[in-house]
Amino acid sequence: MNLNAPLPKRCSILIVGAGIQGLSLAFNLAERGVRDILVLDAGYWQGGASGRNGTLIRGAFSSVEWTCFFAYSNQLWHGLSRRLGENVMYSMRGYSMIGERTATAELLHRTREVHRECGIDSQLLDPAQLRNVLPALAHERVSAALHLPGSGVAPHHAAMHAYHKACERLGVTLRYRTPVAAIDRSAGRVSGVRVGEQRIDADVVVLAGGANSNALAQMAGVPLEGYPMRLEAMALEPTRPLIGPAVALLDRLCYMHQTARGEVVGGAEVAERPQDTLNADVPVMAATAKAYMEMFPQLGQARILRQWAGLVHISPDFGPLLGAHPALPGLFVSAGWCYGHAGAPAAGELLARAIVEGTVDERMKPFAVERFVQGRPVVEPGIVLSHFE
Amino acid sequence: MSLRLPGASGAPLSFSWNGRRLQALAGDSVAQALLANGIRGLAWTRKAHRPMGLSGLYTTGVLARVDGVPNVRLDQCLVREGMQVSRQNSWPNPRFDLLRLARLVPSGWIKGGFEQSNLVPSGGRLFQHWEALLAFLAGVAEPADQGFAGPPPVGQRLRAEVLVIGAGPAGCAAANRAAQEGREVLLVSRGESAARYARQAGAALAPLDPRVRCLFGVEVFGAYREGRLLLGAPIDPARGAVALEADEVILATGRRVVPTLVPGAWLPGVMDARTALALAADRRIAPGKSVVVLGDGQQQALANRLRQLGVQVVAVAEVAELQRVIGHNRVRAVQLERLQPCDALVLAGPGLFDDSLSFQASASGRLQLVGARSSLRRAGSTAEPDPALAPAQDAAVLLCPCFDVSGREVDELLEQGIDELEVIKRLTSCGMGPCQGQPCWDSLRAYVAGRLGVPVLQLARPTLRPPRRALTVAQAAGLCDVVEPLQ
Repeated sequence: MNLNAPLPKRCSILIVGAGIQGLSLAFNLAERGVRDILVLDAGYWQGGASGRNGTLIRGAFSSVEWTCFFAYSNQLWHGLSRRLGENVMYSMRGYSMIGERTATAELLHRTREVHRECGIDSQLLDPAQLRNVLPALAHERVSAALHLPGSGVAPHHAAMHAYHKACERLGVTLRYRTPVAAIDRSAGRVSGVRVGEQRIDADVVVLAGGANSNALAQMAGVPLEGYPMRLEAMALEPTRPLIGPAVALLDRLCYMHQTARGEVVGGAEVAERPQDTLNADVPVMAATAKAYMEMFPQLGQARILRQWAGLVHISPDFGPLLGAHPALPGLFVSAGWCYGHAGAPAAGELLARAIVEGTVDERMKPFAVERFVQGRPVVEPGIVLSHFE
Repeated sequence: MSLRLPGASGAPLSFSWNGRRLQALAGDSVAQALLANGIRGLAWTRKAHRPMGLSGLYTTGVLARVDGVPNVRLDQCLVREGMQVSRQNSWPNPRFDLLRLARLVPSGWIKGGFEQSNLVPSGGRLFQHWEALLAFLAGVAEPADQGFAGPPPVGQRLRAEVLVIGAGPAGCAAANRAAQEGREVLLVSRGESAARYARQAGAALAPLDPRVRCLFGVEVFGAYREGRLLLGAPIDPARGAVALEADEVILATGRRVVPTLVPGAWLPGVMDARTALALAADRRIAPGKSVVVLGDGQQQALANRLRQLGVQVVAVAEVAELQRVIGHNRVRAVQLERLQPCDALVLAGPGLFDDSLSFQASASGRLQLVGARSSLRRAGSTAEPDPALAPAQDAAVLLCPCFDVSGREVDELLEQGIDELEVIKRLTSCGMGPCQGQPCWDSLRAYVAGRLGVPVLQLARPTLRPPRRALTVAQAAGLCDVVEPLQ
């Protein structure tokens, strides 16, 4: 990693943002034989949401669109260590969605039907099965549990390390602490970017800047839906394994898992005005703690090590914005991610195909950037995010 | 071997350590009682199983299982009759512990976060078993025997015109001054009384103004919402957390001694001045049979005080003279200009200001939180500039003993061009244990600055993130209706 080498004067594809989306895309492009790829990032390696997320990888949701996309991504995670030649530590420990209210139990039953349609292996657990999967859970509070045995978690630093190494091996040029100052166009299409005073020519520019997506779109002079928002998580001090699978407590908008380092990491959403800051606040910590204490009483006396915030880009339907930007030829977007860690392998591959071959995969099509002006948002009721009214 | 000095008081109690019955005196913390019984190694480091003990420098050294609850801080937990305490990070049991064999593994093999290794890649059949083994080893302690019963301890909200954090001489003086100006003052302290260290050191102090409202036994650990809201957690986990607001906040938290960056500085028997004074003055326990005192100016005064309290001090010197601490399971000697045998090393300095609260109160930035000039006012030694830490010469130093992160491991990353402290933190886990980087990120920063040949302050320290285990899950849950989300 030579951080001080001069920037190239031109490149074939320039990716703005070297988080997991930018790196996955660069890797997939390089694997398809694209040369002279340049990835620029304003922050430090793993400093954005790709180094701050809850590391959960969920392979199915409650809508067909989300399920088809994330099931494919989950499948790619299974073989990712081999493909990247570095250990991403993907742990297929299962993912349990827990409902407490009756309405949530109904949602989980409908979700199971969606999974059946999509050919997903999921299981509505009866009380005895649930006791087996999550013995520490407060079972008396549960109305239904849907388990995804093929999903899991992958530590973000292992995944970022693996993608980084693989990109370097394939000759991708990566630069951190290199903010893009302007995005240029000429003859009706994107033509490059400027870093400080230096101009870099590019045939294609991809915006993969996470929470900075709106600012980048503005630089390119194109509209983009969505807004930046803070998400928070916290880690408890480690213990030996207590909670096996990843867990979503749907009624509490809380997700969690116990890492391979023994810490319980997770967060619950609270209804607050969207905050554009990396500073953490008290209500999320309190709500997360309440969820832990009530649903896993053995965590009640555990101590909280740290709490942090990360910034994501939220689209109007919470789904990704993925594909060519209709307003400017040569400009592509990978934004709107709040499940970006899970979705990165598929997003990188499908977007690379769209850029190189010009084909839009069926699984990617519903998440087109222009879906809102066309009145086709994707409704996904099974995500763990709060909607501020 | 008892280290109890003459003149100790308190009713005799008995408790058990790893199934062995021991005697204590009422008022002892468990860590103090164990030291009085000659037991110095209380915990193992996470990976290499190095022993650690009561130091006042590293939290890991005092974490153990107490009556079925894991990770209890033995220096904050008083001995109760019949209490059962046992060492963690052992298997199958603390007395016959096969995990100690980890000490035989060459130190170069154990590195990185627990997760990072290409030894067993994911996707293969072995991986889930490998991960389960890692999780068992990294987890250190069995989960609590029982669930938390009953509702969480309810938090409370307190307001004052002036909030003073820290009840040392400077905090008390600031509180008195504000009270005499007729302002409403709240003084919050981790300790159970005002100016306990100063008193233990033999200083005479002016009494607190009776108009000062005191909140003792509460650690203020976090500053939120640009410093307008602070959170405190009682040391007693049965009491609810407090949310604090004030027109003016005065930090009088003093300085925390930082470990010297020499090999062996993590060994049981190395401790800071406060820990040694509390042992000798309050509990009448000697830090060791023969004690070496080092510092950057205060060492002679501390040595005199310890001698006055009956402690045998065998050498006093500048901390800069220390080359290494020698011992396998505990301190046996220190290498100064000559080899000085001893069984305890007390550090009187250098001390750094704990930047957590002022950092959180002022930090901003969308790519990385960067501290600015804080609205929290500093009083006493807190207001003085930090001394520059001496860069480490020896790559064998442990920068983060809890996670066994050595200078050599950081050197390997520096050779690859990775010199951002945030990235080094993520790749090594340095400072991600119970101390949350205090003191390890100061050590890491001094080490990397030394290697790169740049001023220490040029490197941004990894973000300080509360609550740094000050708060239990139940105490945090008790804040649910106390602090409203931003609307």
